[in-house]
Amino acid sequence: MGEYIIRRTLQSVLVLFLITVFTFGLIHAAPGGPTQIFLSPGLSIEAGQIRAEQLGLDRPIPIQYFNWLGNIVTGDLGTTFKNNIPVGEILWPTVKNTIILMSVAWILSLIIAIPWGIYNSTKEYGVSDQTASFISYVGFAMPTFWFGIILQSFFSLKLDWLPLSDMYTMGKEGNMMDLIQHLVLPVSVLTLGFLAGYLKYSRASMLEVLEQDYIRTARAKGVKENKVVFRHALRNALIPVITLIGLDLSILVGGAALTEAVFNWPGMGRLFVEMANSREYSVLMAITLLSAVFVVIGNLVADILYAVVDPRVQLGKGGKA
Amino acid sequence: MSVNLEHTPNEAKLPATKLGKAKRPPGPWALTWRKFRRNPYAMIGLITLMIFVILAIFARLIAPFDPAKTDMMGAGIKPFVDGHILGTDELGRDIFSRLLYGSQVSLTVGFSVAAGAVIIGTLIGAISGYFGGWIDVIFMRAVDVMYSVPLLFLNILILAIFGSEFTYMILIMIFTSWMGVARLVRGTFLQLREMQYVEAAKAIGVSSWGIIFRHLLRNASFPIIVNATLMVGGAILAESGLSYLGLGIQPPDTSWGQMLSKAQEFMLIDPMQGVYPGLCIFIVVLAVNFIGDGIRDALDPRQKMHLSPRRLEQWRAKFSKSTK
Repeated sequence: MGEYIIRRTLQSVLVLFLITVFTFGLIHAAPGGPTQIFLSPGLSIEAGQIRAEQLGLDRPIPIQYFNWLGNIVTGDLGTTFKNNIPVGEILWPTVKNTIILMSVAWILSLIIAIPWGIYNSTKEYGVSDQTASFISYVGFAMPTFWFGIILQSFFSLKLDWLPLSDMYTMGKEGNMMDLIQHLVLPVSVLTLGFLAGYLKYSRASMLEVLEQDYIRTARAKGVKENKVVFRHALRNALIPVITLIGLDLSILVGGAALTEAVFNWPGMGRLFVEMANSREYSVLMAITLLSAVFVVIGNLVADILYAVVDPRVQLGKGGKA
Repeated sequence: MSVNLEHTPNEAKLPATKLGKAKRPPGPWALTWRKFRRNPYAMIGLITLMIFVILAIFARLIAPFDPAKTDMMGAGIKPFVDGHILGTDELGRDIFSRLLYGSQVSLTVGFSVAAGAVIIGTLIGAISGYFGGWIDVIFMRAVDVMYSVPLLFLNILILAIFGSEFTYMILIMIFTSWMGVARLVRGTFLQLREMQYVEAAKAIGVSSWGIIFRHLLRNASFPIIVNATLMVGGAILAESGLSYLGLGIQPPDTSWGQMLSKAQEFMLIDPMQGVYPGLCIFIVVLAVNFIGDGIRDALDPRQKMHLSPRRLEQWRAKFSKSTK
């Protein structure tokens, strides 16, 4: 067990290292490299060169890479090219806002989806099951941002029940009730997206377990159906759901970008889009890396949890890609 | 609600028809099609998609107006006025024509990204799974790395770096979406390469590539096809999202996602403008997903067949007669 955890952790560190190389390589593969930004009309060529020298962009690329890596590891994310603002100063508040939005939507969808999916697995093709399956289809096929726009035009513009966008009404920053009102629409959009996957998954996972021999044995022994489902089957059915939660961190972190753009939510995803439009590479690199760290750690935790919860996992084969 | 028609013992026992001529058993493709055809959702999906494909191909002929032609005098015309079926937008462009041209973008992106990603993913997965060793390690670490960056961020990042010209966008989206297929094919190949027919092929001197392409790929093709179909929908959604964010299709070219980002600005004046493009995306993706699920169900021997109540009744009557 200990050996498995150590090996999995080392593997994650390797992947994180490769991600830094990949991200850095991508930025420098840009035609003209990150310096192209200084050719913008606002800056004279000389001024651009001076700024590039300040940032060390005239040095050989491997040296730049290791400088950057060293800074990142010590928590220094650099400064923006244009205004020389520390990246951390812009980034951290948006991370907090994204976490608020996503965690509410995510927890809500888990609370709805897992019990509902499990219930549906016991009543296959019933009304409730069909409804859930309909929601899944809609959730998978509907562009999330479009759903957001529709909700906005109906609930905000037409009925005027809920605020159109942003996180707080001007002048009410920090007001809890105001925040909740602003959360309703984006959370609904995100929850529909998450529900689509979770409903299908928890149902399928439960159905698979219910087909197993030990369940048949339990039923044959005369164990009550409720007990079979909730005591015998549920525990094993929840195991794959744990991995799913780990994998989903990637969607959690990245998937918000569109919803944040629709609702003008001051989160990490919206910042990423803004910075992509103004080509602020230091911010882009920081966000890419930060989201990758979230994802890698999420996967690591999910894998370790999986091994802890399910002793059937073959630890010897733990390294499978 | 369902009966498995394909594996009735009668069919197996009686290979000859009344004429005494041996009836050729249907191949796997024919069997799949037969099951697919009976799935109403899958057929609705297929027909819907075909309608959209035809509209996209003949957009130039069908479109009543030039989608890029602005006309400030004719801005915001209501539907069914002056031949504008769905009215005009804030710049006086015909919304119906724009939707038609937008369908070209969505479908082209959807199909070419899925095709490209499947080809690359299959090649990498096949090489990884068949040869193993250090090649496998390198490819799978690459998959890990690319999976660790949220897909949307990766797309945005690369689009911001290389620009969002149409062909670039397709190439970039292929580059960011081959990993799933690669993992799938690798997994299948790891199992298949231990099969005896592979050993036999090796023994008679078939080259590695011959084994990969002629023997293994054929056996791995079904899950790949299902995956590819579902990827079409994913790519259409991804394109619409990127175009909505302003990083995809650039004006004067039209795409559904791009129309939505404009429509949001004019939501108060004309909310319907925001409805049509999204509805198109939704319907096309839903159709593709229905087809994908239909193929998956048809390929899965454990999956039960969809039968209409009428057919089921006929079948029950037939069955009860034969057992009496």
